[in-house]
Amino acid sequence: MTTTATPPIAAVEPRHRAAPPASPRRRRRSDLGVALIYIAPAVIGLVAFYIVPTIRGLYLSFTEYSVLGDPEWVGTSNYEALARDPLFWNAMVVTVEYVVINILLQTTIAVGLALLMHHVARSTLLRGLLLLPYLMANVIAAMLWFWMLDYNLGIVNQFIEWAGLPRVAFFGSAEWAIPTQALINTWRHMGYTSLLIFAGLQAIPPTVYEASKLDGAGPVQTFTRITLPLLRPVLALVLVVTVTGSFQVFDTVAVTTGGGPVNATRVLQFYIFQRAFSQQEFGYGSAIAVVLFVILAVVAFIQMKFLRGNESDLD
Amino acid sequence: MTITSLIVTSGRGARRRMRGRDVLPWLLLIAAIAVSVLPFFWVLRTALSTNGELAANSASLLPAGFSLGAFLRVFGLQSPEEAVAQGGSGASIDFWSYLRNSAVFASVTTVCSVFFSSMAAYAFSRLRWKGRDKVFALFLGTVLVPPIFTALPNFLLIRNLHLIDTMLGLVLPYLFMTPFAIFFMRQFFLSMSREVEEAAMIDGARHGRIFFQIVLPNAVGPLVTLMLLTFMTQWNEYFWPLLVSGDNTRVLTVGLGVFKSQSPQGAPDWSGLMAATLVSALPVIVLFIAFGKRIVNNIGFSGTK
Amino acid sequence: MNRPIRFLATASVGAVSVAALAGCGGTSGSAEGTIDYWLWDANQLPAYKQCAEDFHKENPDITVKITQTAWDDYWSKLTNSMAAGTAPDVFTDHLAKFADFVNSDQLMPIDTSDIDMTQYAEGLADLWVGQDGEQYGLPKDWDTVALFYNKKFAADAGLTDEQMSALTWNPEDGGTFEEAIARLTVDKNGVHGDEPGFDKDNVAVHGLGLNASGAGNGQTEWSYLTGTTDWTHTDENPWGTHYNYDDERFQDTIAWWAGLVQKGYMPELETTVGASMPDNFGAGKTAMTSDGSWSVGQYVGYKDVEVGIVPTPVGPNGKNASMFNGLADGIWAGTDDKESAVKWVEYLASAACQDVVGEHAVVFPAITSSTEKAKAAFADKGIDITPFTQHVDAGTTFLFPITDNAAKIQGIMEPAMDAVVSGQADASTLSDANDQVNALFE
Repeated sequence: MTTTATPPIAAVEPRHRAAPPASPRRRRRSDLGVALIYIAPAVIGLVAFYIVPTIRGLYLSFTEYSVLGDPEWVGTSNYEALARDPLFWNAMVVTVEYVVINILLQTTIAVGLALLMHHVARSTLLRGLLLLPYLMANVIAAMLWFWMLDYNLGIVNQFIEWAGLPRVAFFGSAEWAIPTQALINTWRHMGYTSLLIFAGLQAIPPTVYEASKLDGAGPVQTFTRITLPLLRPVLALVLVVTVTGSFQVFDTVAVTTGGGPVNATRVLQFYIFQRAFSQQEFGYGSAIAVVLFVILAVVAFIQMKFLRGNESDLD
Repeated sequence: MTITSLIVTSGRGARRRMRGRDVLPWLLLIAAIAVSVLPFFWVLRTALSTNGELAANSASLLPAGFSLGAFLRVFGLQSPEEAVAQGGSGASIDFWSYLRNSAVFASVTTVCSVFFSSMAAYAFSRLRWKGRDKVFALFLGTVLVPPIFTALPNFLLIRNLHLIDTMLGLVLPYLFMTPFAIFFMRQFFLSMSREVEEAAMIDGARHGRIFFQIVLPNAVGPLVTLMLLTFMTQWNEYFWPLLVSGDNTRVLTVGLGVFKSQSPQGAPDWSGLMAATLVSALPVIVLFIAFGKRIVNNIGFSGTK
Repeated sequence: MNRPIRFLATASVGAVSVAALAGCGGTSGSAEGTIDYWLWDANQLPAYKQCAEDFHKENPDITVKITQTAWDDYWSKLTNSMAAGTAPDVFTDHLAKFADFVNSDQLMPIDTSDIDMTQYAEGLADLWVGQDGEQYGLPKDWDTVALFYNKKFAADAGLTDEQMSALTWNPEDGGTFEEAIARLTVDKNGVHGDEPGFDKDNVAVHGLGLNASGAGNGQTEWSYLTGTTDWTHTDENPWGTHYNYDDERFQDTIAWWAGLVQKGYMPELETTVGASMPDNFGAGKTAMTSDGSWSVGQYVGYKDVEVGIVPTPVGPNGKNASMFNGLADGIWAGTDDKESAVKWVEYLASAACQDVVGEHAVVFPAITSSTEKAKAAFADKGIDITPFTQHVDAGTTFLFPITDNAAKIQGIMEPAMDAVVSGQADASTLSDANDQVNALFE
């Protein structure tokens, strides 16, 4: 499961607001009372289903809990075990591999598609067609490609054979398993991501391009010096969300390879699920989940800092 | 940095004549569209085939052994013996129940979470109170929490409330808000012009009236878009229903598991699987055809200008 | 413009109430007098449906609802449902898993005072006795392993049925078993595996099929070979606490077996994802497989293939061997209708139901008289099941390993064995896996 959808640019309260309209100052009192009512349901949801579980998950990570019994406090032994657990490190490597391939592939293709749409064709029909894969659930897309890439009966291997190359066991071979997962995910999301970037492209005022043309900039220069920098907020956000989502890949793996072959697709979230549910070690599974959470927070923080996604060069 | 309210729908660009150097971009675009769309054709072709013949005719463009059996299996209209004979599972597939469960789950969570999220978004954008931005940052942070991290304790919570395999237990975590919905609506509210509201406030209207009678009506566009996007996401949920649903509340995405291998050495019921794929994507595709323009054009709403 | 908003508000309230109401309605599965029963084998579903109907006639106030779930998902669904508190009242249990269930108190002991335990094939009922002496399942059926081969391919390769029935094997050179496998392997140019010029990268027909690496038990994959070396999986069985994967005899056997892939006689492990070994046999891509008695119906059903069934090869200890497994039906400890569950389980374990199962000629029922019916039913279909039953008669069976920590052991052994069979690791790495497995018992 990768992105649900991209949240808008964070914290975009305008810094310089026009002077407030000349309304009487008597309405300066805080809206706290009303606000509390309005955010009440959302806060209930936040506390009950995000904050409390996070705390509880943190607690469980220090216990041994088989779900069928009671949690038993074991201190940091889960964390010690996971530092020594080759499957945990394998899951890290495999997940990072997936994230890197997925992001590179998806972002490049999405930017490319967005440019194509921007310059060549902007019809809604085309954009709609590109969105088609996004309409299916991740598991459905996975099963579709499980069939198309099948070693014996899949159409893709049929083409490969006609081209004279040896068949590829996309899901069965250790080298191809993770890239194949990344391919499936890219296929599903490229249309959606490209539309997001396309929107960002459209937001760039044409005057900027005209000015650069007058200065004699070629297409490549225009792209690298003007388009990319101006796309930075959109790209930053897209990257943050897709990277976060990629780290959490689960659906496609669960439905196709189940962690195999050997351990080639045993990604973090799947490994957590395996330990927690199949092997009934909720405590250990929670410990790994805590580690995943910390990683995601750090990665997102770094990304936002690096890409300075809060600002836009249009100012 | 200013914020626009809606992304301009272009498409009204002057129709240029095709130039030589447009060929490559067009080809690439067509290739991209082909990659996005052709698999669906292949899925349809397989769904109309018989399992036994697939091996022999794996490359032909037409269905191998044309048969509607796969679709019958998906809808649970085939007898177990026929199903097993055609390479499928003899298990009963209660398709309409899965469909209903998916529909209820998606609709209920969409309507509720969008509504409550809009309320919260209003509080974060239009109301002034101490700590507002800090609390909003907290909501923002929830995006970073891996679903599995909250899923395990949420599962325990639902179990302890004896709500496993009930629709209430299934929808509960999504009922109150989704972080995305809050961001989305807050973004829109921030960009709305304040004049009408200010006028109403001067007239002495309280926030309740302002919200329900002024802000929300003006937000119908984004609200509908948001609901569509949320519905699609919820329709496609897999992990949480896998944990928490049982026979009575199984949703489509989880129910499709029945088409995978039925025995330790068996192959999946390919034609049934592909038929199920099509059928479960169909409602979303229909919604998309009906509302597609709106979704496509507003998907970048979350952007900036 | 009030309407859309009012609508939205009422809709939300309405939706919440609907959800709440829906929540009130459903509890975990059972309505009054319904027993949930789970099984995984689609081929056996018709037989058990028949049993359920017959049972309902005798007990009109109890209805049995059968759910079949694919093997791949069966155990995770079962354990998830136990964690969720919604497990089925009765379910088909497996020797590999039942120890874990007993340890986590998920199985209800069965009172056997009214049941004639001698009607079952010898030793079967004792398999299901926990370490506490209680009976946790009533035997359902039993199975062994044999070789299935394509008669036409064998004839083309110059192998007679007599030869195929009397194969020999040893870990050093593979005996006549490997000779036959090599002979039966044919590359795309028609060259056999034991002829010069054989192209192992372009094989059209594999001599021996591959299903999976077999993880820790190798029931159909290699246990029939290790069983002839006097090696056992554990120090004692059932309820052993020490595994022997570091033993030379085991590792030599696995090395030989994995070596078949390098020689081109067996398909690569990666090609087995999404594929089916029997289907490959039926499509003429594999000449011979080692498989369990539960798939006889499947092999016999392939239209274009005449299948021969022969016993497993004779090994270094002068005999052949087969793993002996049996299934039983267990009662979930959390069932809310103990009486009906017990009745259903006793019915399943009675001749009334097992005769029906036998007559469907899919598996061998546990009750000896029902097995006779099965023999007859198979014979009617032209299938001689002696290669399976001879192990029971000759005492050349050995048990499926039954120990604690089965799920964790699977998690360790499956990747370890996968690595060896796919050529990524040497058989000696199984000693490391063995250490990890044995560490679970400390």
